[in-house]
Amino acid sequence: MIEEKTLLDLCEYIVKAGKEKGAEHIEVHAASESEVESDVEMGQISQVSKKNLSEIAIRLFIGKRMGSAFTNIPTQDAANEALDLAISAAKATTEDEDWSGLPSPADEYPVIEGLWQDSVVDSDSGEVVGLAGKALSLSVKADPDLIPGFGGSAAIGFSAAYANSNGVAHSDKGTFALVVLGGIAPTDTGMTPMVFAYDIARDMNVDVEGTVDDVASTIQICKNSVKGNSGKHTIIMHPLAYGQVMNFTLIQSIRGDNVARGKSKIGDKLGEKIASEKITVVDDGLHPRGVSSSSADDEGVPRRRTPIIEKGVLRSFLWDTYWANKMGVKSTGNAKRNMRQGLVDISPSNIVVEPGEREIEDIIKGTKHGYYIRGVQGAHSSNPESGDFSIVGNPAILIENGKMVGAVHGLMVAGNVYDLLNQVDEIAKTPHYLQSIIGPEIVFKDVSLIAKE
Amino acid sequence: MFEKLESALEIGSGLGASYVELRGESGFIEYIQMDDGRVSALTQRLEQGVAVRVLADGAWGFVTTSDLNGLDNAVKDAYSMARAAAITRREPIVLAETKAHEDVLDFDVKRDPRHVPIEEKLQYMQDMTKEIRDFDSRITAVTVKIRTASGKKYLMTSDGSRIQTDVVLVWSYPWVTGKDGTRLSAARYEDASTKSGWEYLEKVATPEVIGLEAAKRVKLQLEGIPAKGGSFPCVLGPRVIGVLAHEALGHLAEADLTVQSSFNGKVGEVVAAEGVSMTDNGVDEGNLGTSKYDDEASLASRVEIIKDSVLTELMTNREYAAKIGQRVTGNARAESYLHPPIIRMRNTLFERGDYNPDEMFEGIEFGYYCADFRGGQAQMNASFQVGIQEAYEIVNGELGKPVTDLSISGIATDSLFKIEGVANEDFPFELGRCGKGQEAFVAAGGPNIRFLKGGITFGGSS
Repeated sequence: MIEEKTLLDLCEYIVKAGKEKGAEHIEVHAASESEVESDVEMGQISQVSKKNLSEIAIRLFIGKRMGSAFTNIPTQDAANEALDLAISAAKATTEDEDWSGLPSPADEYPVIEGLWQDSVVDSDSGEVVGLAGKALSLSVKADPDLIPGFGGSAAIGFSAAYANSNGVAHSDKGTFALVVLGGIAPTDTGMTPMVFAYDIARDMNVDVEGTVDDVASTIQICKNSVKGNSGKHTIIMHPLAYGQVMNFTLIQSIRGDNVARGKSKIGDKLGEKIASEKITVVDDGLHPRGVSSSSADDEGVPRRRTPIIEKGVLRSFLWDTYWANKMGVKSTGNAKRNMRQGLVDISPSNIVVEPGEREIEDIIKGTKHGYYIRGVQGAHSSNPESGDFSIVGNPAILIENGKMVGAVHGLMVAGNVYDLLNQVDEIAKTPHYLQSIIGPEIVFKDVSLIAKE
Repeated sequence: MFEKLESALEIGSGLGASYVELRGESGFIEYIQMDDGRVSALTQRLEQGVAVRVLADGAWGFVTTSDLNGLDNAVKDAYSMARAAAITRREPIVLAETKAHEDVLDFDVKRDPRHVPIEEKLQYMQDMTKEIRDFDSRITAVTVKIRTASGKKYLMTSDGSRIQTDVVLVWSYPWVTGKDGTRLSAARYEDASTKSGWEYLEKVATPEVIGLEAAKRVKLQLEGIPAKGGSFPCVLGPRVIGVLAHEALGHLAEADLTVQSSFNGKVGEVVAAEGVSMTDNGVDEGNLGTSKYDDEASLASRVEIIKDSVLTELMTNREYAAKIGQRVTGNARAESYLHPPIIRMRNTLFERGDYNPDEMFEGIEFGYYCADFRGGQAQMNASFQVGIQEAYEIVNGELGKPVTDLSISGIATDSLFKIEGVANEDFPFELGRCGKGQEAFVAAGGPNIRFLKGGITFGGSS
């Protein structure tokens, strides 16, 4: 991994060199990552990988014409070659009348403690393998039928830097360790669905026991296959499930670019009630346990906490610099750069669903008939514009008289996300800390389900 | 490139690795996105790197690097990674024997995308935007994306294979939004070639052809009625039945997934209704997922997954061929030097049947005809889901009104027995991408196939 200061020096060099080559405005975003990862297949570690990657994305403007380029080689020579490509692209493209400038320097950047831990970058392949190895041995102990079909562990260190011709110069670094487990078990008629769980931490103390226990206890229930009923029923969704649905519907509609382009169904609903008053959703780029927490976004704009839905009322959209300038608002620090494509998109940081009061165990105990949906298939086929979704809950677990009794195969959930948001009945107390979402289970009432006949 | 790979290969063999594989890539890659006529990304890049894979003591080590002068260290690293994995294994990974190949593959590319002027590419995108806008006044937003690539790939293994191949890609993708009152809708289309250059977008996937495919589906969405929920008799058209072949069956027949899926242990058993055959054809000339060799230097092949209703063969790489005692089918594919090769589909299809194509809807009082999809996903309990962006009611044996977005699902091991008829007709392939931790370009297709009630569940909201 390249030190963040070295990366920033390179960014600043490229900004200067770009201006000398004829760019009027220029920004450079560089990232470096080192990763050791182990992969599990069929209950054994099959492969250990090592990656040392660098990415440098350049975007420059001549007048209002934009060109961009990418290189994976972190040297001044490679950067100069990339600059030439970006300049010829800018000369060939069309003007963007709406472009009005790159970000300006920020007064200050937030400080989030604990994003970097030396123990992660100092770890060796043996320690990383050890995490997955521990998950495998605990799986076998937890349930002899449980096959750890998929999984692994990783230790990742990364640095990032951003500089532009307005004088913004910012760098950041962070670490992650993670353990992932996907378990299955044979049933009388076939297989259980694969049950996933993972834990991500900034240091090496990932919760292997909790991850295995989560998978094993769910598999235990899924070994029993039961029939589901069509009709309107209560469903309890794990954030692994509703996070997917929201990502392909609601989240697309709060992106400022989609609001500006008339692609959002709630683009004209700021200040209006769009959901049950029981739900509050925040985009929190500063959350100490958020995987996407950082001091700045991919344009060097400070991260912040942006309320999206407050007690059912739509409070804000998410913006990057371009669309905020165009619409006369301020960036919310939600720019996300696809380095290789050169595309700057608006993307949430950590979506946080505020917790409720009762523990999930108590909610399940109080449920006479319902379904606990832990994962979904096909959320990506939702219609982001209309909010319509039609998905399979899998694993979907039948709850009867307060008990989880078995897996339902082929349980479809169809509806519209804006109806679903109004069907929130309760939110559980303890959040799950996932990659893009932090939230507890959510109970939705009267949701249309279609069970396989 | 080969010289650099060769010296690194020797180091790997010298360390005692049982297999060393080096895959170098060098080339031009481009991405352009146009939103409502505005260029929001225009990135050209020259990228090079090497994927190093080493089998040592019965486990894999993998290193990806862009430093061509540091390959010796990359091989040493991969070797030590393999050893770190090996100490945990109960049984060593072994590879099935294959013949070594030396070959140079040049494609007959008429217009190398690297040398097509940017202005011409932007014109293509502007033309498509206009084509779509002009189709219906209710179309409110148009995004067009294109990707191109042009380069070379160099594969070298310690078994003596040495293959140099051209790499080319042209890919075109519009996403279209329509609005009628408060009703919003969207549709997408995609086309690609991994064998031809820019001429493919000039002659086959033209702005007119691709634009129309996306635009007409948005119009249908705006005019459609909601679909019902439940199980109905239905006919799935070539684009949807192809995705079903891919999602519902294909993934379960990738040997690395089969061992943990509902197809486990079922090779040789009847798994589908009479007359149903499904194939992954890696040697279908010119098709999107075709290549002569895979990324382990094995020859690609035609894999008869289901033959006359019997599960016959699985798709393998060298590791899983040895593990399950089957032939190497040449399905090991890697997205780029950033990834190791894994078992992937190529061109997956249902073979044509003997049902009269003119009688596909006959006798269906009420059901659905599904013509186009948007996404799909498989799970290990054989549950599949396919999002549908173009479908129609079938009423009294006739095609009826269009319906709005929905998805279909089923349990593959049940649904296959509910196939009532496979049309005796030619069919087009749907060309797209599949994600299994890394991207692969794949094709899928099949003739119209009719299912009995109980085979497919419709996730309509009405």
